[in-house]
Amino acid sequence: MTINQNELLSAFVDGELQGDEFEQALQIVTTNEQARTQLQRYQLVSDVLQGHTLGNQYVDLTSQISAALVDEPVFTQASTTNKKSQVIPFPKQFWKQATGLAVAASVGALAVMGVMTQPQNQLIPVTPVAAIDTPVVTVAQAGNRWTVGEPEVEHRLDTYLLDHNEYAGASGVFSYARVVSYDAGR
Amino acid sequence: MSVDLELVQRVQAGDKKAFDVLILKYQQRIVHVITGFVHDPVEALDVAQEAFIKAYRAIPNFRGDSAFYTWLYRIAINTAKNHLTARARRPPAMDVDAMDATNFYDAPELKEFETPESSLMSDELEQAIHRAIQDLPEDTATAIQLREFDGMSYEEIAQAMDCPIGTVRSRIFRARDAIDKQIQEIMGEGEQQ
Repeated sequence: MTINQNELLSAFVDGELQGDEFEQALQIVTTNEQARTQLQRYQLVSDVLQGHTLGNQYVDLTSQISAALVDEPVFTQASTTNKKSQVIPFPKQFWKQATGLAVAASVGALAVMGVMTQPQNQLIPVTPVAAIDTPVVTVAQAGNRWTVGEPEVEHRLDTYLLDHNEYAGASGVFSYARVVSYDAGR
Repeated sequence: MSVDLELVQRVQAGDKKAFDVLILKYQQRIVHVITGFVHDPVEALDVAQEAFIKAYRAIPNFRGDSAFYTWLYRIAINTAKNHLTARARRPPAMDVDAMDATNFYDAPELKEFETPESSLMSDELEQAIHRAIQDLPEDTATAIQLREFDGMSYEEIAQAMDCPIGTVRSRIFRARDAIDKQIQEIMGEGEQQ
């Protein structure tokens, strides 16, 4: 083995080879047993100086592991690429459903905004169903309170309004922030 | 591209021998790390071997998002922990970052498996290396020290020492060659034990 080869191995240990020299070093190491032993000693010195060894365990596991790997498959670039393509894509159906949901949410939001921008104290009559003879229930909003004849309905509407005020628009963000800080402070 | 990534890509492309080089490069470190968990040196070698085999099997999934050693280190730690669990022994509660592993294993309780002979051997090797460095010409000693102790690249050493990169490479090689001559005798004794 020439001195030049050892210098190549020394630079290989340091990860300082590129291009042809890298190829050359790799070729030497994988085909020349003496070069492999030399590389191992250079690596050992480096490991000792950097504190990566313990006791007298100057081990060489390469032959044992190589023997154990004999029956293992040899990878190909295709097998590596195939692994990448194993990522499960979203089904096309998902995008259709997501689009439908987005449209429905937009319509819902517009409807809520429409209700919120109604003038105060405007009466919203609930039209009676013609086939059923039920009394007409009228609901009116005054400020943040609803006036309605039935307490159960009034309570439910109050709850809806509170929930809406909490989550809708910019004010919803602050309400949420208050909840978070309250929880955090407990 | 780093040497490790280049080697990994070769393994991924079907070059099994490139994996031998990765084993050769990291086997001391991995055995060192595993020995911190599995205190029996013979068991540690088996676990290290298992860890490298697992790494080979998983290498098609390695994409280079982290350094190869960090990835390998994780596999080694998990293999060691699984080994301890299988043996109904409790793995250490604490976990250690790959970068801190060296300091971690300086802990006295993790060195308890060391025999007086192995400790003496280790000291002897270290002393021989340091003696060899002391006997080197100043510029050669400085180059190897900057490389091994400060982890500088050849380019950084060239800037620090105000010389061409080729000179740095040659100085580091001369230092390693001198150290190698000193340790060959000790290594021969160690292998016979």
